[in-house]
Amino acid sequence: MGFLDFVEGPLFVIAAITFVLGALWRVIGIIRIGRKKDISPPKGSAAAGFIKGNLRHFFPRGIFARRTWLHIIGGYGFHIGLFVLVFFAAPHIAFLDDRILGFGWQGMPRWAFVLVADVAFAGLIVLWVRRISDPVMRLISDWEDHFGSWLTFLVMLTGCLAMQQSHDVLRAVHMLVIDVWLIYFPFSRLMHAFTFVLSRGNTGATYGRKGMNL
Amino acid sequence: MSKFAQGAIALLLLLVIALFATQTNAQNVRPPGDAVNLESTGQPGPSNALGDRSDSEIWDAFRGGDPNDLLAPRPDGVVLSTTGQHWREFRENYINKYALWLPAGVIVILTLFHLISGKMKISAGRSGNMIPRFTLNARVSHWFMASIFILLGLSGITIMIARPILVPLLGSKVTSVLTSAALQGHNLFGPLFVVALLWMFIKFVRGNFFQIVDFKWIFKLGGFFGGHVSSRQFNFGEKSWFWMVILVGIVMSATGLALEFPWIMEDIRLLQLSTILHGIGAIALISVAIGHIYIGTIGMEGSIDSMLKGEVDENWAKEHHDLWYEEVTGKSAKD
Repeated sequence: MGFLDFVEGPLFVIAAITFVLGALWRVIGIIRIGRKKDISPPKGSAAAGFIKGNLRHFFPRGIFARRTWLHIIGGYGFHIGLFVLVFFAAPHIAFLDDRILGFGWQGMPRWAFVLVADVAFAGLIVLWVRRISDPVMRLISDWEDHFGSWLTFLVMLTGCLAMQQSHDVLRAVHMLVIDVWLIYFPFSRLMHAFTFVLSRGNTGATYGRKGMNL
Repeated sequence: MSKFAQGAIALLLLLVIALFATQTNAQNVRPPGDAVNLESTGQPGPSNALGDRSDSEIWDAFRGGDPNDLLAPRPDGVVLSTTGQHWREFRENYINKYALWLPAGVIVILTLFHLISGKMKISAGRSGNMIPRFTLNARVSHWFMASIFILLGLSGITIMIARPILVPLLGSKVTSVLTSAALQGHNLFGPLFVVALLWMFIKFVRGNFFQIVDFKWIFKLGGFFGGHVSSRQFNFGEKSWFWMVILVGIVMSATGLALEFPWIMEDIRLLQLSTILHGIGAIALISVAIGHIYIGTIGMEGSIDSMLKGEVDENWAKEHHDLWYEEVTGKSAKD
């Protein structure tokens, strides 16, 4: 078995299982913690607050919009860009079709791939340089924040370097970094990709039950 | 008619058809080398006709041809140009071969300077009082440009030195992998450089116009060899670096986009010129950037604070940007 076969085969299976089970374990664990019973009479709907809390946080509040536009744009650019790259890059669709799903869908043309990759890279770089340039962000960031950012950057970078698809070794390096990323993901702050729903929802539900306008 | 006669007629017909077919095919067969060409009738002959010129004449016409672009119609019949060969020789024998000499020379000079002079300390020491110098937005735009610059620089150098340096060192297989990766990365990050350049320009153009005080800075060689030099928010060296990044950056962006999307140019000479300008511009920017990085980090005490924290020590400001210090604090820099 060659190195490419190994990172695309057994190691990928282990990484994918770790990712799925680890993420489920974390999310179920958070849900099972539950909330302390609130004995005060409700003045509003906690469920509506949960949903509203989630939706409301997608947009900056007016008074903060001018101060936060940079990382709002950077954040959306990176996250949406990464999502589109993962699910609409032609080699990814072929891989998912071949290895996991058994069916595929229409991929992006090359020019769209380059455009989306540029947006995603720009967003990630802006978010990271803000982390090192803003004194408050620098203070509250630890090695895990930087490691997660850099690992994600490496996943994207190695993918783009292998774009020509002319050398197996470049594809193997990309797959290896993906495997590491998948294994690291559930046990790191990268889990915010799933837990943000719970944290926003918790805040929203608390305020919603108290009848506060979010 | 007997069966024999019917068979004989059929055979005869087959022979006639076969004969015509053979003659038709014979028109497509290349004539022997000593065949005599028929006199030209002025009509275009078959595409595989030998023509009436010898190989040496044809190649002579190629070499002596008007070096125009290859995409435009060629009424003179010239299909190759000599500029391509000149461009290739110049690029391979000069630019690619000596690409690292200038940056390496800058590193050697800075190392010697650092060993002899040491780090430029703040004369009065740190005061502990900090003054805001760059906004968060300005700092992010600077580091954004720096990140893209480093990615482009590393991938660009890999492409540039692949043939003359990496192949002999690493072999053609490894170099092939490296250059394939570098090319994809370079093409991907290239458009982001244009965005970074525009952002940098907007954030930093104010304060980077040359002023009278900058001439004093030149005469005193920036104070590198002693003596105090006054300056506003940016000194002559910083302003020159800013304008170099912007102007050379525009050239790099234009030539880079032309090389990434070659179909936008119809004249191949412009593409050849683009590779030359792109290479020279890259070497110049990388070389000066090394000096910029040195001064901004280990070369001068306190300078990194401005881009990391957005603020600088009061004594640093008094020493290096006294006029700016007076402007923003309303106090005298001599106090």
